[in-house]
Amino acid sequence: MQLQKKADMECVVQGIIETQHVEALEILLQGLCGVQRERLRIHEICLKNGPNLGLVASEVRLLCDLEQTEPSWTVRHIGGAMRGAGAEQISVLVRTMVESKVSKNVLRMFYTLGYKLDHELLRVGFSFQFNRGAQITVTVSSVNKMLKLHATDEAVPVTPGIQMVEVTAPASAENYTEVAAAVSSFCEYLAPLLHLSKPGVSTGVVPTAAAAAASLMSDGGGTTL
Amino acid sequence: MEGESVQQQQERLNQAVQQQLNLEQVKTRAISLFKAISRILEDFDAYARTNTTPKWQDILGQYSMVNLELFNIVDDIKKVSKPFLVYPKNVNADNATILPVMLSTKLLPEMETEDTSKRDQLLQGMQNLPIATQIDKLKARLDMIAGACEGAEKVLADTRKAYCFGTRQGPAIAPTLDKGQAAKIQEQENLLRAAVNVGEGLRLPGDQRHITASLPMHLADVFTVNEGPQSFPEGSSNNVYIKNTPLSSNSMGGQNSLLQNSGSQLLGRSAASPNVATNATFDNTAASPIPYANSPRSSTNMMNTPSPQQQTPQQQQQQPTVQQQQQQQRQKMMQLPQQQQQLLAQQQQFRQSAMQGLGQLHGQHQMQFSQQIGHQQFQGRQLTSGHVQHGIGQSQLNQGNQMARISQFSGAANNALFNAAQTTPNTQMIPNISAGISSQPLLPRMQFGLSGNNPQRNHASQMLSDQMFNMGGGNPGGMMSIQQQQQQQQSSQGAFGGLASNAQNLPSGMMTLQNTQQNHPNFSQQRQQNQQ
Repeated sequence: MQLQKKADMECVVQGIIETQHVEALEILLQGLCGVQRERLRIHEICLKNGPNLGLVASEVRLLCDLEQTEPSWTVRHIGGAMRGAGAEQISVLVRTMVESKVSKNVLRMFYTLGYKLDHELLRVGFSFQFNRGAQITVTVSSVNKMLKLHATDEAVPVTPGIQMVEVTAPASAENYTEVAAAVSSFCEYLAPLLHLSKPGVSTGVVPTAAAAAASLMSDGGGTTL
Repeated sequence: MEGESVQQQQERLNQAVQQQLNLEQVKTRAISLFKAISRILEDFDAYARTNTTPKWQDILGQYSMVNLELFNIVDDIKKVSKPFLVYPKNVNADNATILPVMLSTKLLPEMETEDTSKRDQLLQGMQNLPIATQIDKLKARLDMIAGACEGAEKVLADTRKAYCFGTRQGPAIAPTLDKGQAAKIQEQENLLRAAVNVGEGLRLPGDQRHITASLPMHLADVFTVNEGPQSFPEGSSNNVYIKNTPLSSNSMGGQNSLLQNSGSQLLGRSAASPNVATNATFDNTAASPIPYANSPRSSTNMMNTPSPQQQTPQQQQQQPTVQQQQQQQRQKMMQLPQQQQQLLAQQQQFRQSAMQGLGQLHGQHQMQFSQQIGHQQFQGRQLTSGHVQHGIGQSQLNQGNQMARISQFSGAANNALFNAAQTTPNTQMIPNISAGISSQPLLPRMQFGLSGNNPQRNHASQMLSDQMFNMGGGNPGGMMSIQQQQQQQQSSQGAFGGLASNAQNLPSGMMTLQNTQQNHPNFSQQRQQNQQ
């Protein structure tokens, strides 16, 4: 039955890290996760429906994975976050999220339905996927914008000196507390380098980041954690 | 007890004092007191073990006796203790409050001698000088020592950094960000978070939203046929007009290709059709790339599609003829014509009206039209049945008018849609009728035209479309005509993605038309030809 458990929610936290420390973060994650990193190059197209298509404004994100030889498309819909006193106590954001693989006609289909392009961005970085209490994915990427429509080859970073770190884990309504706990405990391991928080809450950089990065780099990655 | 703590020196005490002390007696009394107390404690123990309630009266009495005895002993000792001094070996918390300050701070003799010798060492050579000088000299010495200590610490810290041992004190020594830097980082962070979560700063202004550069690989084939990002109509089922964007031309081009496909199919099927010429014109445009609206080619595309023979005479009389045609068609439909000619005539008319309508428009308008068609097609779709509803929005253009309307049959379920479509002031929309109606009872409706439709809508295309989607099965006779008409309709709609491929399915399609509900109108239309 576990295989069939539908995970229609996700726990997510975001953080930032200075570009100069990204390599150190990679070393740290490599040690923590125990898996190989996967390169990431994703063209994210955000579509919003027109005002007269339905009563509720809806937004859909199309992700095209450009790293593979054959670009693969995914559609993702992000819903509202959990609210309430219980949600405030959890240190991660829990929200509905539905994702599915689609064919390359998805963009055309949504246009035909009446959705319009709202914005697009290109993420370039790496990610780690592993299981530690929950299936966790850590993504470290620089977020790039395109000055010309769909010109992914000419994308420039939105913030050159800072990259975005996201930790997500799929969850369902039954197990989201455990997943949230797993994610937040994992985030504590990253505390020397960065602080992670719910999307929308800013954290700043961590003062120990430079020292932690220096120590991670100087050991040549040989430090086991 | 103090009395008992007095140490007996080795030398003999003064006899008088000794007598006064009467140590023997004190000892006896102390021992008896001790015994009394231990007895009481034992009693308490027994009480505790047996868990009986002790007799408090007795115990208090015993306690008072013991207390009195102790007091007496202490009193006697006190009287005699004047010649004695307490010489504590150890000053600790217990004793400190009792002993006078001087006594408590006085160093032990050994310590005292040590101290004296050190002082002498320090002040050697200075004892002759005045005190002030001595003080200065001592201060100088202190400063030197302090300097030496600092130097040593510095060296240690540097060495630590060099070898990355880590600081002893940790974060306190780590560099903190100065405020300016922190503010800059905060600003950048806000930018980044906003960009990722909301898309701030990533939206291109409207005029930049054209696909000017070559598309990247993964988008190249997505965009060949169609549009740019904003070009799709915002039309809902109300068929609001599409904004006139240059990108809309792309879609028209796409439809061209689709049209061409279907056209060629028609060519193949209806050999006797006078539409051959028309089809031929379709083929002319097959090779045209999909340019923008303003390119000469695209605008001529649509101009070319209606066959020259058919176009000229009928263009002028489009509206009235259309109505006539419609009526004719209706009658034909009612008779369940299976003759090819009728169907062909219908086709022809439909096509003409469709094409002419398109042809009269400028490129951009055309595109919008087709877009709207496509859009509306999808709007009314009843997904379960797989039938697509067609509604071709009237071109909102100022020319407003001769868009070929493909109407679908209004099923019970779709009356609402129809009514909704009615609300748009500008459009003379033929309601999108769900094609999911497949039940037989609808057949008569079909044949009588669109009972649910506005009379104005008696457009050639309307007839065609009426029955188009009743493929659901069970419309044997009517289906034939419908299908052919549908074919034509479809050609003008062009927005179906699968149209071209549908053409391939013609052979098999016809048979299934009447059986299942799975028939896409696309399929059905093209299958029509086969049956003929």
